[in-house]
Order: sequence, then structure tokens, then C-alpha cells
Amino acid sequence: MRKGLKLTDILVTIVIAVAFGIVYILWGSIYYSVKPLGLHVDQLIYGMWFIAGPVAFLVMRKPGVALLAEIAAASGEFFLGSPWGLTVLLYGVVQGLFAELVFMAFRYKKFNMSVAVLAAIASCVGSVLMDFAYGEIGALSLWNLLLFMIARFIGSIFFAGVFAYYLVKVLEATGVTNLVRPVSSKDYAALDQK
Amino acid sequence: MERIAFVEKLRLKFPGDESLIFKDLSVSFDKGEKVLLLGPSGCGKSTLLQVLSGLIPHSIEVPMKAKELESPSSWGYVFQDPDSQFCMPFADEEIAFVLENLSVPKQQMNERIHNHIRQVGLHLDDIHTSIDTLSGGMKQRLAIASVLALEPEVIFLDEPTAMLDPVGTKEIWDVLKEIGKDKTVIIVEHKIDHVLEFIERIVLFNDNGQIIADGPKDIILSLYKNKMKEHGIWFPGVWDEYIHDHAPIREQREFNDGGPIMQMQGFRGFRKKEEKIMVEELQIHSGEWIVIRGENGAGKSTLLHALMQFIKTNGYYELMGTSIKKVKNLTDNMTFVFQNPEFQFVANSVYEEIAYSLRIDKKPPQEIEERVHALLEVFHLTAHRDKHPFQLSMGQKRRLSVAASIVKEKKIILLDEPTFGQDSKNTFALLEWFEEYRKRGITVIMVTHDDHISKNFATRIWTVKDGKVISDEKISKQLAFLETEVLSL
Amino acid sequence: MNVSSAETWLHKINPSLKLFVLIVLCMVALFIKDLNYMINVTMGVLLLFLCFSGHPLNRILLLSIPFCFIFLSTSSAMILFGQGETLWFKWGLISITEESFMRGLLVGFRALLFAVLGLTFSLTTRPVNLFYSLMQQVKLKPKYAYSFMAALRLIPIMLEEFQTIRNAMRVRGVERKKGIRSLYFKMKAYSIPLLSGSIRRAHRIAVAMEAKRFSDTRNRTYYYEFGFSKNDHGFILYFVILLLAGLYLSVQFPYLSI
Repeated sequence: MRKGLKLTDILVTIVIAVAFGIVYILWGSIYYSVKPLGLHVDQLIYGMWFIAGPVAFLVMRKPGVALLAEIAAASGEFFLGSPWGLTVLLYGVVQGLFAELVFMAFRYKKFNMSVAVLAAIASCVGSVLMDFAYGEIGALSLWNLLLFMIARFIGSIFFAGVFAYYLVKVLEATGVTNLVRPVSSKDYAALDQK
Repeated sequence: MERIAFVEKLRLKFPGDESLIFKDLSVSFDKGEKVLLLGPSGCGKSTLLQVLSGLIPHSIEVPMKAKELESPSSWGYVFQDPDSQFCMPFADEEIAFVLENLSVPKQQMNERIHNHIRQVGLHLDDIHTSIDTLSGGMKQRLAIASVLALEPEVIFLDEPTAMLDPVGTKEIWDVLKEIGKDKTVIIVEHKIDHVLEFIERIVLFNDNGQIIADGPKDIILSLYKNKMKEHGIWFPGVWDEYIHDHAPIREQREFNDGGPIMQMQGFRGFRKKEEKIMVEELQIHSGEWIVIRGENGAGKSTLLHALMQFIKTNGYYELMGTSIKKVKNLTDNMTFVFQNPEFQFVANSVYEEIAYSLRIDKKPPQEIEERVHALLEVFHLTAHRDKHPFQLSMGQKRRLSVAASIVKEKKIILLDEPTFGQDSKNTFALLEWFEEYRKRGITVIMVTHDDHISKNFATRIWTVKDGKVISDEKISKQLAFLETEVLSL
Repeated sequence: MNVSSAETWLHKINPSLKLFVLIVLCMVALFIKDLNYMINVTMGVLLLFLCFSGHPLNRILLLSIPFCFIFLSTSSAMILFGQGETLWFKWGLISITEESFMRGLLVGFRALLFAVLGLTFSLTTRPVNLFYSLMQQVKLKPKYAYSFMAALRLIPIMLEEFQTIRNAMRVRGVERKKGIRSLYFKMKAYSIPLLSGSIRRAHRIAVAMEAKRFSDTRNRTYYYEFGFSKNDHGFILYFVILLLAGLYLSVQFPYLSI
């Protein structure tokens, strides 16, 4: 295994996360405009908050990147003075950690859609745990709680799993991922051609 | 002479590319030399600088090997994009970052920061100035100052003025000549007017990353002028030669039309509620080529943005006889080509990018195929039709962004610095296409710093100063070189 | 945040310590189940925010507007749909009980507390100072600290790019598309140029930093040096007193009986 992330890896990961931090703030305004509607319509789009981790990992394909990305995205929001302030930071750590564990379980060797979806689900589980600790949802009536969970899981799978996967596919087509991915030994071997 | 940096039999390949960019390249540099590396874009000159400095493979992982390689023991590197070489928000902090890297004690930092800032002629009231408030030229001075903090023997310059206007370019070269006097300087640059008097030696590359000539500058310049022209290098006098070869471009400048297509009166544009641009009265006709000139920050781009309604405006503004408030789809008549082409790409292939606007209008497939095909031909993109737009070279991206903007034959085309950072070949090709469209009655409005364009292609020149259009100069038919009709506003 | 303000004692507190104290307070708040206590603690933090952020009052009030919104939106779901015994009001799926109402208020105040703490921190702390302090007091690795600082510098540049992309999409007619599939298309059209541009820029900056001899060794010197002072003691004391006095008052003089 390589020894830790290099400066380039860290900076690129953080910048990807900050880009999503900007998206999150816009997303936050959509989220809070549908939230008072009740019935957890808002939960359908909650999953967008988990996207930074999977995207960063799928782009860079290196250990530790998903966790770092979620923390960075959350702190980006924090420094921009988001009223959610410290809450996002705590959530970010937990969500990132859960996603990271999924990628680790596959030894950082799988980059397909299933892994992305699993990581999204893991982040979602992390956020639900945080919500219980936060005391926001434990006391909801059962039908309401179920509705809440289903909506959030569906949203997570769609945004942080499927959408993240396709987004990185397109990024690959732009050629930018070559800059930051580990170089294959095939490329080194090609140096010895005639 | 003492060798200070060299490489022998260098092989290098970018991940994912088919072929090697360098195959057994050898070159060496002596202490105190000032050398210019010249060649077509994409030939690997910048990559060579990175190898010589050791950035490849230390910081950038690229497969490479060399029989022998020696990097200078102390060196500094100035990059082309002022916005992507700083990591700190304030000028003093950026230089302090370098000093910290060198473990300079805190007590000495303040004095050294002041010294370096003075050396590059960066006049700041307070060294704790936000980098965001500096102009492009000042940012590059700061970049040079932080290189000086390294006290380098060798300075690598990777197109340090590519993103600067002519004034900034000259200033930066004046600074570089001063500080580079007693150092080894290795330069990659396309705009070589100011560089030539500074250097002694030129190394010339071809498309395949091979050195085709290496020697004293006068000999290389005289022997390989045609090669340079072919490569699109901005050697001195390239415009004069172009005009000489295309003498009749100034004929038939006027295009007769039926009345103005755009009118403004007391027209103002606002950013963050502040008035940033004001037009007292202007009328625009079809077939005009208007160049908007002015200093950095005068409001040229803002004027384009106001015309496109990207920003809030008030006052009278009429487009094709309809008040702007009643115009539903402004973009049916008018299009805008952004300075950075990537921002306007929406599709996954060159072909689809051009076809995109036609598909929105649900044009029949037959027609789409024909129109796109024709444009691919005109803009020399046919060979790349299936590539992702982001994978193109800088020049190709620019051509694609123009092609995709004009596919629907808009009446008015607005361009923000369309020739910026382009080589001479691409610049002339673009200008000829714009002229072609203008002749067909399309109005071209462009912001540019290039006086050659205003002199040789424009039919009309607006000058913007401090957020106001202060002059409107119409260049009359055929006598363009001799007579201009000045309407002061 | 990059707006000018007067310096108060809150600015002078060691940034790492400030962050640590605030996070501890958040943790503590997660375990506060008593509404009266929560209200007292929130008031104490609000006082800091209103009096010592060093920003003019009108800006403070402007920044406070989202607080009301957060309070309402956080508490409303719990108030309207929570479980409880003492029914106050019922209409269709909505049932407001005394318990759900109180719990709703508790959750609302907690969200408010977090928001005020976070904003007080970001209004009184320069990110650069925080990261310098984290390197010195918490031994955060320089490669992480400087990456964060470099990324923060890019935020305004990225916001501007985002605006440009938005304009470009209008010119290209992307906004005219309708429907669910166009939503995917739009999200893609916005994020691809933003992401690919940012990745390339980040890569270039990292290379430029290493060209300036950045390395991750710990024996670097610092342009800004941070230590601890009397202000730091005062800061800790303030919160200790707040937590104790708040508890005492909530027991002795409750606003609401639960």
C-alpha cells in the first residue's frame, strides 16, 4: 500500500468537496423550501449531501479520500457561514466514515455502481444514526418515521449512488481523471517500446 | 561552460495516450544561459521544463525514464495561470509560505517579504493585501516575488504572460529581464516580441516532440521563420506579413442594411446594485464589426454582459425593433462566446455539441446532419467529431465554441477575448471566419486587447473607460487606414 | 467570512481552543433533554453572538434571519407529527400533543444553538488562523492544513465560475428544456465544467506549491504563531459558568413546566 495521500491527492479531494459545498448551499435553499411541507418530501433530496464522498473516491480511487471529501465539504459549508454551522461538520464526519468503510470493505479495488450505491446507503445509515442522537426523529409516529426513512434511502441511492456514478463516468470522458489516478504499470512498460 | 541542467535520452508518456511524447530526447543547458524553447502547442515544451525541474516525476506522476538527468540544485518556476499558483489569500502570506518551506525564522520574514515585493516592483500600500484584488499582471509579479524568495540559480518560465494583456506582458518581461540578469533562465513562450532581446539561444521543436534546431537566436530566426509561421508562433512582424499577404481584407467594409438592429439610450448595467456600465446612446447595424477596447476593469466584459442581460440593466434597450423587456428569447437573435470555452460545453462529443441547439429546436435529422457536417468542415474539426469537447486542444476548443454558438445563424454574435491565448494560425483563421459571417450581414461585437484586430478588421471601435463608453469611432469604407470619423460621446 | 469587522476578545482566543470548546458544547447539547436548560444555554450563546462578534448590529440582525427559519422548520415536523399523550389538536394526519410540542421546541432550540455557535465561530475566526493554530497546537499535518487554505482561496473563484456557467447554459438554451430527464441533464451540465475545471486547477496549485519547496516535514517555521492567553481562560470560564448557572436557573426558575 502507498504511504498516505500526497499533497496533490489531498488538495484535489478538498477542492472537489468544496465544489459540492457550493452546490450544497444552493441545495440547502431548495431543501428548506420544501421541508415545511411536511410528509418528508424533503428527505427525497437529502441524499445529495452524501455525494461528495463517492464522487471523490470514484475520481481518485485512493484510500481515505471519501472521508476527507465529506469532512471538507462540511467544513466548506461551515466556513461560508452556513447557519447549520457545526451540525454539518459532525454529520459530515459520520457520513464520510460510513462511506469510507464500504470502499475499504472492497479493498479500494471496486469502482462500479454497486459500490457507489452501497456507500450511499452507508452514508444514509450514518446520517439516520446522527438524527437519532440529535433527537429529531426518535419520537415520530411509526408511519411517519417509515415514510421518512424510505424517502431518505431512495434519495440517497439516486443522488449519491447512481448520479455520482454517472457523473464520474462523464468526468472520465473529459480526460481529467487521468491527472489524479494512480498510473498503471502498463503505462510504464510502454516506455520500453521501440 | 558549466552545465547546470541536462537530460539524455528522455522517454516520457502521458497515461492513457497512445504514443510517447518524447522519445530519446537529449538537451543540456549551461550556467547563465537564457534559452527560449519554441514549438507548436502540445509538443511537450512545458513538460520538458517540468522534467528538468524535477516536478515530473516528483510532484506529477507521469511515466518517464532517462539515461541521465540532472536538475539544478536551486530553481524557481513561474506558471502561466495567475489564479492557480497561489495557496494563500494574502500577498504577504504567499511569500511567507515559501519562507516557511525554507525554515526561515519568523523574525526575518517581514523584512524579506518587503524586499522581494520591492524587487518585482509590486507597489502595495500594505503587504497584507488580498491577492483577489490584484490584476493579472500584479499577480504574476507576486508569483515572481515568491520565486525570488527561493533564491534560485535557475528560473523556469512557463508562458508567464499567456493570460496577460499587452501592457501587463511588457511589464512582466521588464521585471523578468531585470531579475534574470545573473541567472540561468529557461523560457517557454509563444508571444516572443519581448523575449527575443533577452535570450541568446533558441531550441525549436516539431509536432512530435523532437528538437529540429538548437542554436543562436539570430540564426534560428532567419533559417526557420516559415516553420515558426506554420507552428503559429507569434514571432515579431507576423501581423505585418499577414496583412501583406491578405492586402484586400479592408475592401468592402460597409454592409448596407435596413435600419438599426440594436438601439440603446441611457442604458445602464448593474452588478450587486452598483452601476458598472453606462451607454448614453448607441445604435448598431447589421454587418458591423465592433471592437470594444479599454483598460482592465474598465467595464468591457460588463458591457457585453449587459447586452446579454446576464446582469440587471435599466434604460432603453431595443433589439430587432422590440423593447428588451418584451423580448422572450434573447438568445434566438444573439449569442455569446465565453472566454473559457469549457463553460459552455454541454454535450459529450464534438458532433453533439454543435448539433445541440438544432436538437432543441427539433430540426429534422437530415438537416442537422448537413449543417453540423458543414460546420465541422469549416472549423477543421471533422477528424475530432467523436472526441469529448474537453479533450480538445485549446485552439480546437475555441473553434468548437464558436461553431456551436453560430450553428443557428444568430443575427448578432458577442465574443469576449476570442483570440486570447490562441496561436497566430488559429487567430487568423478565427478572424477570417468572423469576417465571412460579417459579410453575410451578421453583427460581430468583440472585446479584445489586440490593437491589430481593431486596426485591421473592425468597422467600428468603442472605447470604454471607468464604466462608460467614451468614444465611438466608425472606420469608413476603404479609407480605413487614413481616415477615421470620430464621434465623441 | 471575508467581511471587515472590529476585533473583540472573541477574535483573540486561540482558534483551536475555540473550535474545541464549541464542539464540546455541541456534544453536551445533544444530551440536554430539559427545555428550560436548553433555553438558558441558547440565550447565553446568543448573548456572545449579539455583543461580541465585532460586527455592526445591522449585519448581525441580517445574519439572524435564517435562525428563525431554522427554528421553525426544525421544530415544525416534530410538533405536527410527533407522538404524545395529551392531545391538543388533531386534523387529519396532523396531531399536536403537549409532549410533541415541547419536544419540537427542544429540537428547535438545539438547532438554533448549533447555528449560533457555528456562526459566532466563523464570524470571529479567520480560517487561515485556525489552520495555523491547528498545525501548531493539534499537530495537524501541514499538507492537510495548506490544502484546506488553498481550497478556501478558490471558493470565490468557483462561485464566479458557477455564475458564468449559469449564463452559458442560458445562452445554450439548456434552461428551456423541461421534465425529469432535463433535470439530470442540467445537473450534469453544471457540475462537469465546474468539477473538471476545479480538479485541474487544484492539481496545478498542488504542483505550484511543491515547486515552492513545500514538503510535509514538521520542522517548518510559521509566519503566524499562536499560543494561549488570559482570554482563553475567560472563554472557558464563560461556558463553565453558563452551563452551571443555566442548570441552576432552570431548576429554580423554570419558564415552562413539563
